[in-house]
Amino acid sequence: MSPWAPYKPTDAAPWNLERVVHLHHRAAFAATWAEVQRDLRDGSDVAVTRLLEGQARLEGVPESFESLATIIGQAAVDSGSAERLKAWWLYRCLFTPHPLQERLTLMWHNHFATSNLKVGDLRLMKRQNDIFRRHALSSFGDLLTAAIRDPALLNWLDAPANRKAHPNENLARELMELFTLGIGHYTEEDVKQSARALTGWTVRQGDFIEQPTAHDDGEKTILGRTGNWNGSDLLKTLLEQPAAAHRLASRLCLEFLGEHVVDDKALDELANGLRLNNLDIRWGVETILRSELFFSAPNLMSRVCDPVSFVVGPLRALEFWRHPPGTIVMADWLRRMDQDLFYPPNVGGWPGGRAWLSTRTILARSNFMAALVAGELSSPVHPPDLARLIANHSGDTAQTTGEKVRFLSQLLFGLTMDDSSPSVAEGEPLGSLLLRLLTGQFAYLH
Amino acid sequence: MQPARVNRSRRQFLKESALVSLSPLLPAFLARSVAAADAKPDDRVLVVIQLDGGNDGLNTVIPFADELYARYRKELRIKPHEVLKLDESVGLHPQMMPAKELFDAGRLAVVQGVGYPNPNRSHFESMAIWHHACVGSEDHDGIGWLGRTADTWVSPEASSSGSIYVGVEAPSVAVRGRRANVVSLENEADLMLAPAIEQMIPPSLKANNDLSAFVQRSIDQSYAAAKQFSGSAAVQAGGNDGYPASKLGQKLRLVSRLLKLDGNTRIYYVSQPGYDTHSAQTYPHAQLLREFSSALKAFMTDLQVSKLDDRVVVLAFSEFGRRVDENASGGTDHGAAGPVFLAGSPVRGGILNGHPSLSDLDVGDLKMQVDFRQVYATLLQNWLAVDSQTILKEQFKPFDCLRPS
Repeated sequence: MSPWAPYKPTDAAPWNLERVVHLHHRAAFAATWAEVQRDLRDGSDVAVTRLLEGQARLEGVPESFESLATIIGQAAVDSGSAERLKAWWLYRCLFTPHPLQERLTLMWHNHFATSNLKVGDLRLMKRQNDIFRRHALSSFGDLLTAAIRDPALLNWLDAPANRKAHPNENLARELMELFTLGIGHYTEEDVKQSARALTGWTVRQGDFIEQPTAHDDGEKTILGRTGNWNGSDLLKTLLEQPAAAHRLASRLCLEFLGEHVVDDKALDELANGLRLNNLDIRWGVETILRSELFFSAPNLMSRVCDPVSFVVGPLRALEFWRHPPGTIVMADWLRRMDQDLFYPPNVGGWPGGRAWLSTRTILARSNFMAALVAGELSSPVHPPDLARLIANHSGDTAQTTGEKVRFLSQLLFGLTMDDSSPSVAEGEPLGSLLLRLLTGQFAYLH
Repeated sequence: MQPARVNRSRRQFLKESALVSLSPLLPAFLARSVAAADAKPDDRVLVVIQLDGGNDGLNTVIPFADELYARYRKELRIKPHEVLKLDESVGLHPQMMPAKELFDAGRLAVVQGVGYPNPNRSHFESMAIWHHACVGSEDHDGIGWLGRTADTWVSPEASSSGSIYVGVEAPSVAVRGRRANVVSLENEADLMLAPAIEQMIPPSLKANNDLSAFVQRSIDQSYAAAKQFSGSAAVQAGGNDGYPASKLGQKLRLVSRLLKLDGNTRIYYVSQPGYDTHSAQTYPHAQLLREFSSALKAFMTDLQVSKLDDRVVVLAFSEFGRRVDENASGGTDHGAAGPVFLAGSPVRGGILNGHPSLSDLDVGDLKMQVDFRQVYATLLQNWLAVDSQTILKEQFKPFDCLRPS
């Protein structure tokens, strides 16, 4: 049977708290107790549909979210402060009704990794970010075209220096190696010829233009096809390559599945499906999120969570919006965890997975959680009211310290087994127990 | 390419040192801890100090015996009796006594008249040239010479932080690679645990599988490293460790502590801003040179005491020197070639070439005698043991600045 067959709850893979939390950790940024309970009740089909439709969040979403976000984003660009633009994005992650869209925006930021270090223009960085968001679930061809015919990426990859008779291969190479085909699916000659096809795509006064005088309209042979190709022809050719579908399938699996969960056969099958569906990202994401493979036991708790999830997830689960955390402060913590938004380390993006963890980033993660538990993310300082949170949601069932810890580990990790809880001493303050949970190994996995 | 030099006493030291004996716990103190097996504590390290703004080389390594010097520098002239003489004709600025001591100990090399053809007098362009090690701006793609070097060390299995940049600003283009990672550190607080965590008994949970074992091990190791780091901080804070309080001094102090803890990183990069001295430069320039040389001396002494000095070479450069003729505001304007310093016991200490002529100028600037890429080529080929032609995209005649090993 196909690993992509729709998931149906079984005794071995029941639709339980663990799987609801798993879904929200991978496809959103965790969930509140009420959201978890709702999805547990309504089943996986409805839960996945809610995520795809931007209806996963029940609470903690401002009524006028979009207009507030627009104002914050514009003010950030006007201020010229990259910190404020990072804060804007975190505001979106925390308060959007559509967390899957933000997660995918982050994924595309990593796929088309562009750093403001070189672009040096917040307006362009935000514009690119909006493209990733707008096309987060569209066809990959539309996303690719929009992302490339846009100043941030063109400046980042030296397109303005790519002129007839003076080709610069940077854009052509990354387009093939990183954005579409992957190493091994093109030759150096293809890179050279593609660079020629892309001549004339440049930036003028902060906007994309096609400059005919800079374009080399001579004959080129790219991936075995000969013609007077231009940039649009090149994109079309690349998108038709089986390798492009394969790379897209890999990217989606890397984002939504854990270590060693998908095998080559499953990847091929997903890539074929993507080709048949015109590289429709939504189709790919939906196929994965609804699949047997996604909810299979080996896929649970099988990847190192990225810093944004690590930071935003507990804030959502613990209903922090009552005392909103400072998003500029959060962005700075992310930088210390090596995920400096708008400043990916290089054109390859963040390597992710186990590579997120080094001594320095682990210390940053732990210190962040200490600040969270102490309430230092909000101004004025406001520690989370755990007693109230627990009482609201568990009624009378969590009385002892052990029961309270169990509730928190269910909320945060979806785990019911006692293994997830550190040994507790009756009477240990809830804050200190929470800190132990949030800095333990389960907080690092999802 | 030469085989990596093995130093018996260093090996011995590694075995004996309590500090390093913990190193199996610290596979990658700052690097990604994907693979634990790639730490090679004997690897050679390059530390770059960037003197930002265009250092007035003529008042740094001073041709005091040349009468033209006094003629060009009427107001800014350092008097011959004040110059710290290195030989019969040149000497260091009087505030550079610590550097003079390094020189006398044979651990400082001076390369004079370093630059590149068709000098560019824009800070941005010239720095970009030094960072990329390419003179054509069309080749300035944001990937620097040390980034390209670190790229050659990237492999799917092994992980190392290609470079560590110490400073609050964005890492220099010089260390940015296509694939290699740059760790940027502002200060020591980045490597310490919050008190609430330190007091917490870490829940060492049972691992269910390889991934959770990896995570647990990484957490445990990181806490151990932080404790070790704060322990060494306490020790150092208690005694006088010799580093000046200047920003550069503190940056180099952090580099030294990282060197002692992290066997993986081979490139460190720091900068000292402030060298753009267009007016009234006498005092600020003296101050900068004092900071530079005292920080460098403290660092070299520390390395020597820690028996790390045979592993480390320091390169100090500025994007250009300044105009030979002083300007009317008691300062100097953007120029061309200037001196480069190399420090460390692997360096061939001394004055490695003559001072550029003060009578044969290129529109008022010193002419280049050594292309900076010749110095890079030597450091790449003979120190970092990478193919310099691959990195520099051209073959440069090596400049003989290292002791034979």
